[in-house]
Amino acid sequence: MTTKNIGKPQDRVDGKLKVTGRAMYPGDRRMENLAYGYLLTSTVAKGSIRAMDTSGAERTRGVLAVYTPFNPLKLYRGLDSSEGANSGEIQPPLQDARILNYGQIIGLVVAESFEQARDAAALVTTQYDEDNPVASWETGMENAFTPEAVGGESATIKILSEGVSSIDDAIKDSPVVLDATYREPIYHHNPMEPHATTAVWQGDRLTIYDATQGVVAQRLDLAAVLGIDEDMVRVLCPFVGGGFGCKGSMWMFSPLTAAAARALGRSVKTILTREQMFTLVGHRPALIQRLTLGAKPDGTLQAVKHDVRSTVSFSKVFVEAAAHRTSRLLYKSTNIQVSQTLVPWNVGGPTFMRAPGCAPGMFALECAMDELAAKLRIDPIELRIKNNAEVFPGKNVPWSSKNLVECYQLGAQKFGWSKRNPEPGAIRDGDWLVGMGMASALYPAHRSQASVKVRLQADGTAEVSSATQDLGTGTWTVLAIVGADSLELPIEKIRPELGDSALPHAPTSGGSTSVASVTPAIQRAAESAKRKLIQFVLRDKRSPFFGMRAEDVVYRDGKIEGGGKSADFGSVLTAIGRGAVEAVEMAEPGEEEQKYAFHSFGAQFCELRVNRWTGEVRLQRITSVMDIGTVVNLKAARSQIIGGIVFGIGMALLEGSVLEEKTGRYGNANFADYLVATNADVPYVDVYFIDKPDTIFNPLGARGIGEIGITGMPAAIANAVYNATGNRVRDFPILPEKLLPLGLNQPAISMALR
Amino acid sequence: MRPFTYESPSSVLEATNPGHPDSAFIAGGTTIVDLMKLEVMKPPKVVDLNALPMRGIEMSPDGLRIGALEKMSDTAVHPEVAANYPVISEALLKSASAQIRNMASIGGNLLQRTRCGYFRDVNTPCNKREPGSGCPAIGGENRMHAILGTSSSCVATHASDLAVALVALEASVRLQSGASERLLTLDDFYLLPDGTPHQENQLLPGELITEIRVPRLPWATRSTYLKIRDRESYEFSLTSAAVALDVNGDQIRDARVAVGGVGTKPWNLPEVREALTGKPLTLETFVAAAKLAVAGAVPLKHNAFKIDLVQRTIIRALIKLGGLA
Repeated sequence: MTTKNIGKPQDRVDGKLKVTGRAMYPGDRRMENLAYGYLLTSTVAKGSIRAMDTSGAERTRGVLAVYTPFNPLKLYRGLDSSEGANSGEIQPPLQDARILNYGQIIGLVVAESFEQARDAAALVTTQYDEDNPVASWETGMENAFTPEAVGGESATIKILSEGVSSIDDAIKDSPVVLDATYREPIYHHNPMEPHATTAVWQGDRLTIYDATQGVVAQRLDLAAVLGIDEDMVRVLCPFVGGGFGCKGSMWMFSPLTAAAARALGRSVKTILTREQMFTLVGHRPALIQRLTLGAKPDGTLQAVKHDVRSTVSFSKVFVEAAAHRTSRLLYKSTNIQVSQTLVPWNVGGPTFMRAPGCAPGMFALECAMDELAAKLRIDPIELRIKNNAEVFPGKNVPWSSKNLVECYQLGAQKFGWSKRNPEPGAIRDGDWLVGMGMASALYPAHRSQASVKVRLQADGTAEVSSATQDLGTGTWTVLAIVGADSLELPIEKIRPELGDSALPHAPTSGGSTSVASVTPAIQRAAESAKRKLIQFVLRDKRSPFFGMRAEDVVYRDGKIEGGGKSADFGSVLTAIGRGAVEAVEMAEPGEEEQKYAFHSFGAQFCELRVNRWTGEVRLQRITSVMDIGTVVNLKAARSQIIGGIVFGIGMALLEGSVLEEKTGRYGNANFADYLVATNADVPYVDVYFIDKPDTIFNPLGARGIGEIGITGMPAAIANAVYNATGNRVRDFPILPEKLLPLGLNQPAISMALR
Repeated sequence: MRPFTYESPSSVLEATNPGHPDSAFIAGGTTIVDLMKLEVMKPPKVVDLNALPMRGIEMSPDGLRIGALEKMSDTAVHPEVAANYPVISEALLKSASAQIRNMASIGGNLLQRTRCGYFRDVNTPCNKREPGSGCPAIGGENRMHAILGTSSSCVATHASDLAVALVALEASVRLQSGASERLLTLDDFYLLPDGTPHQENQLLPGELITEIRVPRLPWATRSTYLKIRDRESYEFSLTSAAVALDVNGDQIRDARVAVGGVGTKPWNLPEVREALTGKPLTLETFVAAAKLAVAGAVPLKHNAFKIDLVQRTIIRALIKLGGLA
C-alpha cells in the first residue's frame, strides 16, 4: 500500500454534487405516485387522548388518509441495541391513546401534496385527559433510579487504594478539596437536514430513502416494526445533512410512513418540521454533575468522585455516561468513584449526541480541574500533566497510543499559554476583560466489524463499496483515499459507494467508528482483489501473463507486471473478457481489545473577552491539538475538529432547550429561539494533529475524529470566562445575566445600578 | 397556511381600498409568510405592495424621508443615512440576517410582530393572537419578554431595532387610506397593550405606512445603536439602546435616548434625555440618567436581569459617544 493520498488535504469527492444541489438527500427524492405525510403531534405532555375529530381533515382536497390511535396502522415494537438495532423509542405510535411527552406522534395525515397534508393536519382537533407532567429536577427526583449498567459496567465504579474504605474517606484525608456542582440543560442536535423518509413499495418489498446514520441497523429495525422479513427491506441514504447522533437511531415516524405507504399503495414521503425535530428524534439529557476532587498541596490527586444525574424519558432508558467515560479514566488518582442516577421526565426519548458522555462529563471534570488548579495556585496544564494516567485506572492496561502530554505542550506553545495571567480579571482591553482557558479533550476509540467490496473494473476504475454512511463527515472521500492508496491508483479512478443496506455490512456511523472500522476492510478487500486478479490473468490464454508463475507476477501502481511485461489491470481484464474482478472482505478488532485501552486525546485552548458593562462573552481565538492517530484527510479532519468546536461554543454559550415545568413543552423549539453559533460567533480556529499512527488499534492507525472536537471546548470556555472575570459559571449556557454584575466594575457604579 | 386570494395593485388608492376587513399587506414577506405558515395569521386576502411607488431615500432641509418600500439593506448603507444618522444604519445592520434585510421593507419592519414564542404557537393561548385567551408568558418562559409597558394581558417585546432608533430621533410615519393622509409620530403610532394587545398601532383597516420622516438633527452624526444579545449575529436583543449625544466641551448640550428589548413598544426615554441635558459629561451623569430608564419596570421570573442590563446598555452607549472609554 502506498500513502500518496492518506494524510493530505483532499477535496471531497462528493463536494461538487453537494454545492450544485445534485446530491439527492432522502427528502429530495421524487417519484411517480408520491404522496406526502404530515405528522400530528400531541400538545400535552402527559395523559391520554379522549377523542380526535379528523372529519375536517378528511374532507380536505387531496387528503388520502388520516391515521390516528382511533384509526391506526399496525406496527410492532422496535428493537433495542441488544437485538442488533437501536430504536430511538421502543413503543410504536398510534397503538394506544397514551401520551408520555409533548410533541409525541398522535397521527399521520397523508395527502397528494405536502401543503395539502399540512393544511389538513391543522384542521384536526384533539381532546385530552391531561395529567401534570414531570418536567423539572424537583418533580423528577421522586422517580429517580439507578441504571442496571452503564456502558457494560456497574452504575457505581469504585477504584480504591488498599486500606481506603470509601471515596469519602479519601476525600476527608485530602489536604485540598474541591467540591462543585455543574448543571446543563437539554440540548438538541439540530442538524441542518431535518429527518426525512420516502417509502416505496414494490409488492412486498420496501425500498426506503431514510435520513440515517446506519442503513444496516435501520433496515433490521424497520423490518421488525413493520413485521416483515429483513430481506424485504432496502435502506438507501447516500447523503446525510448532519446527524450528530440524532440519526443514529430509528425513530418511529419512519416505519409509520412506510406502513401508510403500504396501506395506501402509494409511495409516501414524510419530512419533519424543525419544531418536530425537538420532540421526535432525541436530545442530549439534562445533567447535574457533582465533582469532588481531593489533592495533595503539590496537586497530586488522591480522590476523584464524580456523581451524575441525567434525565431519561418514561419510555426508554438511555444513560448519558458522563462520569464513566471521563473521570473514571482521565487522571491517575489513587482513589476514583463514578456513579450515575437517572431521572425520568415527560420528554421524548433522549439519545446519543456528539461525544455522548464525554461532552458533558468533560465540562464538569475539566472545569473542576481548573478550579482545583486555581485553589492550589498551580498552572492548570502542570496540574494535568502531574496527574496524567499512564495506564487505564483500575484495569492496569496501557493505552495503544497516548500522546496527551505532547498535546498540552504543543498547544501551550502554539497558543501562547505562557502569556496567560493566572490572576482573574487582570487583563483588560478597554471595557473588555480578556481571559484564557484550556481543557483536555477525550473520546474513546471504537472499532467494530465491517465489510467492504473492492471491484477492479475493465474500464480501469475500481469500485470501493460498503454499507457505511457519510454524515457530511467525509466518508465518501475516505473510501476514495484509502481505496486509492490500497490499490495504488489515483483518487479519480476510485468509485466509492455507500449508504445502501444492500452493500457489504458496516457499522452505524456513530461513536466515531466508521473510519476505524471500514478502512481495515478496504485494505483487506484490496489485497484480496489484487490476488484474485493475478490468478485470473495467469490462467487465461488471452492474457499477456498466461502461464507465468504466480511469484513472478506482481500488482504495482495499478498495473500487472511480470516477465518483462507490464499492463494496466483494465486492459488485461478487457483482454481476458472479464468486466471486473471483485472481493469482499471483513475486518474486525482482535485480541488487542483485551490488552489495551483505546482513546483519542487532545488539548483545547481559547481566548475570549467579556464586556465589563454588559457581560457578553465573545471568543477571540481557539487552538486545538488532537492526538487521533493517523490523519486520513487533513482537510476533512480539520473540518471535523472545527465542527466539534463550534458545537462546543454552542453548548457553553448559546444552546439549551427550555422545557416549561408546568407543561413539558419546549419554549424555544425553533431556530430563532434555540441559538446555534453563527459565523460571527466563531473566531479563528487553529487545529494541529499529533499524527502518530495507532497501529495497535488498526493497520492504518486511524482513530475516529467525529466527536473529540467538542469535548474540551465547553470547559475551556468556562475556564477562560473565569480567567477574564473571576466568575465561575457552573450552569450552562453562560448567559450575560449569569455574569452580571461583574465584580470588577467600579464599586460605586455597581452600587448605583443595584 | 390557509387558502387566500392575492392581489397586486399598482396604486396606493387601489391598495388601500378595504375590500375585506381582514386583508393583509405583503411587502418583503419576512414576517407575514412565516406567520401564515404557522397559522398565526390567516388573512383571506393578501395585497402585494411591491408594485406601488412608495420608494426613495432623500435628505432635505427638513430631514430624511424614506419610502416605506425601501429595503432594510439599501437603507442601511445609503450614504445620507449612514452619514447623518449612524444610529439608523447601525440598528438596521444589527437586525436579522443579510438575507432578511435584502427582502424586508422599512415599512414592514416597523410592523413586524413580536417574537414571543406563545404568540407564534397556535397550540398555546395568547391575547395578542386570540383576544381573551390568556397570556402564558406571564407565568411561563419569559426571559426575552418586556419589563416596561406590560399589562396583565401581554408582556411581549416589540422586536424592531429600527423602530427604537426612529423613536429616539422623534421620527414620524405618513399613513394613507384612500385619498386621506395623516402624519403620526412613531411614538404615538405604537400602542401599549393594556387590555387590547392585539391592537398594536393606530393603523385603520386598509391603511398603509407610505413613508417615514426623520427630523433634521445635525448632531445625530454622533449617534449609535448598541444591541446586547446572546448571539453575535441574527438574533433579537436582550436590551438595546439608541443614543445620540450633543456635546459641547465637557458639557452635554442635548441627547436622544430610546431602548429596545425591554418594552412592549419601542421605548423612548425623554426623562433620561432631560437628565443628561446640561449636565457634565461624566460617568456619574450617565449612571444617574440611566437609572431613570427603568422607573416603573415590572420584572418577570426570568427577565429581572434586564432592569440592570438596560441601564448598563445605556451607560455603555453613552461612554462610547462621549469618548469616555
